[in-house]
Amino acid sequence: MRTAFWMAAILSNLGAHLGADIMAGKVALDLSVQPLKEDVFKEAKEEVVTLMAQPMVAPRPATTLTPEIRVRAVHDGHWIAFLLTWADTERSEAGRLGEFSDAVALEFPVKEEPLPPIFMGTKDMPVHLLHWRAQYQRDREKGPPEMKDLYPNMNPDMYPMDFKDQGKLQGISEEMREVYSHGKAAGNPQSYRKESAVDEIFAEGFGSSSIIHNPQSHGEGRWSDGRWAVVLARPLALVNGSVLVPGQPGHIGLAVWQGGQDEVGARKCVTMSWITLLMAGE
Amino acid sequence: MPKVKNWQIGREMEYPYEGQRPKRQWAIVFDLNKCIACQTCTLACKTTWTSGQGQEYMFWNNVETKPYGGYPLGWDVRILEKLGRQDWEKNAPLEGKTVFEAAAPTERALHFFPKDEDWMYPNNGEDDCAGRVEGGCHIKDLPHDRWFFYLPRTCAHCTYPACLAACPRKAIYKRAEDGIVLIDQSRCKGYGECVRACPYKKSMYNPATRVSEKCVGCYPAVEQGLQPMCVQNCIGKIRIMGFISPPWTARADNPVDYLVHKKGIALPYYPQLGLEPNIYYIPPVHAPREYLAQMFGPQADDAVKRYLELRQDPIAQGLLVLMGSTDCILHSFKVADGLASGYDEKGGEIVQVPVVEPLHARAAYDEKLATVRTNTP
Repeated sequence: MRTAFWMAAILSNLGAHLGADIMAGKVALDLSVQPLKEDVFKEAKEEVVTLMAQPMVAPRPATTLTPEIRVRAVHDGHWIAFLLTWADTERSEAGRLGEFSDAVALEFPVKEEPLPPIFMGTKDMPVHLLHWRAQYQRDREKGPPEMKDLYPNMNPDMYPMDFKDQGKLQGISEEMREVYSHGKAAGNPQSYRKESAVDEIFAEGFGSSSIIHNPQSHGEGRWSDGRWAVVLARPLALVNGSVLVPGQPGHIGLAVWQGGQDEVGARKCVTMSWITLLMAGE
Repeated sequence: MPKVKNWQIGREMEYPYEGQRPKRQWAIVFDLNKCIACQTCTLACKTTWTSGQGQEYMFWNNVETKPYGGYPLGWDVRILEKLGRQDWEKNAPLEGKTVFEAAAPTERALHFFPKDEDWMYPNNGEDDCAGRVEGGCHIKDLPHDRWFFYLPRTCAHCTYPACLAACPRKAIYKRAEDGIVLIDQSRCKGYGECVRACPYKKSMYNPATRVSEKCVGCYPAVEQGLQPMCVQNCIGKIRIMGFISPPWTARADNPVDYLVHKKGIALPYYPQLGLEPNIYYIPPVHAPREYLAQMFGPQADDAVKRYLELRQDPIAQGLLVLMGSTDCILHSFKVADGLASGYDEKGGEIVQVPVVEPLHARAAYDEKLATVRTNTP
């Protein structure tokens, strides 16, 4: 662990020198509109950001599957939007056992001074994350897959309180059925249909992330020809979260998961240091 | 990495977290000489806990046929193959590495990741007779004697769980009051790290709720002083659930301590993996000893010998009769004057059974009722 720490520290310093700033020009468009078209970024300068296999905590990937991600950004004075593209040879939305989703995350410090550790922040120095998943986008577009979608040849006899002929069971509520769905019964957002493809998350260190209810951000991904292009947009000022101010530098971090290659959770490729985000003033 | 004391392998070992034993530790002892794979335990668990969507394939309790059966497929041989040869001499600490010590720096534990198809064969045809008798043996030239035994399995609520060690969200915890290991259903995000890391493959992903689940040790029953459903419903009376102490605080009147520590006839399975699992087995006496040593460690041979000598031990006999005699958790027991008694936590008597049931021989023909009776020996 100590070796990993020093290695990360050295690479972090290197990254600080090598990383290019992201420029977010101002556009006369409403970036809060969903979905945002990619051509809003046509004037934005593209930067190539280097990623590497998350090195800090196990379990972690042994190799860097996504060595780089291309980033463009624009803002409209109220919202900021990012276009993130990276190579991934297969589209993965998770579903069956042992299948994971492609995903990307943007990380922002909640406070700029002092900057929290880029690796998920630390206690009392939180970070604010926008986490887009192909799985969540599928949820929003088609609803979460039913078991019969995932396993068409499966023939379960019946599920509790769920019969074609409800008969005297007319009074059975969804809440009563959810008792047999442990994740839902415990109120886990993961178990419900995602209405947004983007989760907003607070974290104060590895393993501490928790989802923010009623997220304001939105996102949309498109996979073609072996590449993902994901647009993520957020208000400049997130309630109780990070605040970006035009004309003042901000910071971002990035992470990518290739679900088809079993990347999930801490198995991800990440930026090793904060990248400066320069937003054009009013 | 912190060092923790693992009494099952007789030494300290590396584990990602500091060692902290619970106030008491949930444990089950199974007598494998009596299991007939009726799967009543499996169904008792299934109907209690896993009847919902996404749980179709789940058997938190399963019974598989050894040596070939496994759920998921080949779980045991695959982790043993990954671990490779590890040496362990009798009455000595484990020389080899545990799954934590053998793990790559990128991992918390050595593991394999079962895929969809590996979960498709829960004891399906594992012990079907191989061909008709008059046709001779269907499978020829097996490299070993023809034998098998049944292995019922639940989560072992390990003292050093690999699932807990591997969870990057810290969504898995071990309860201080009874040592039961639980996945927080509100916190899990379904990364599947516990599914990968548990060498016994007792964490399972639910594709409908998109979080992982596992045996909960029937904690609501345990909190009321009752044994888990799989134990209560065992018609072969092969199981007893109780609380096990580490050997340095073992009590001879504690049923589980007696079988594991005092008599040494019940052994943990695959202790060499290093998790200090808390399900214990009385090994089957007819299986090859080499296989039993691989599964239960170097004490397996002695455990079989001691089991075969139980006829001379009325106390152990009495305890085996108490297995399956009550739904309640027995905290202590006593055998005296041909009677075995089990007690609750406060010393109140829960159950009393004769060590040997009285024998009643009846005439083959009952003249009063004018009927023929059959005496069952």
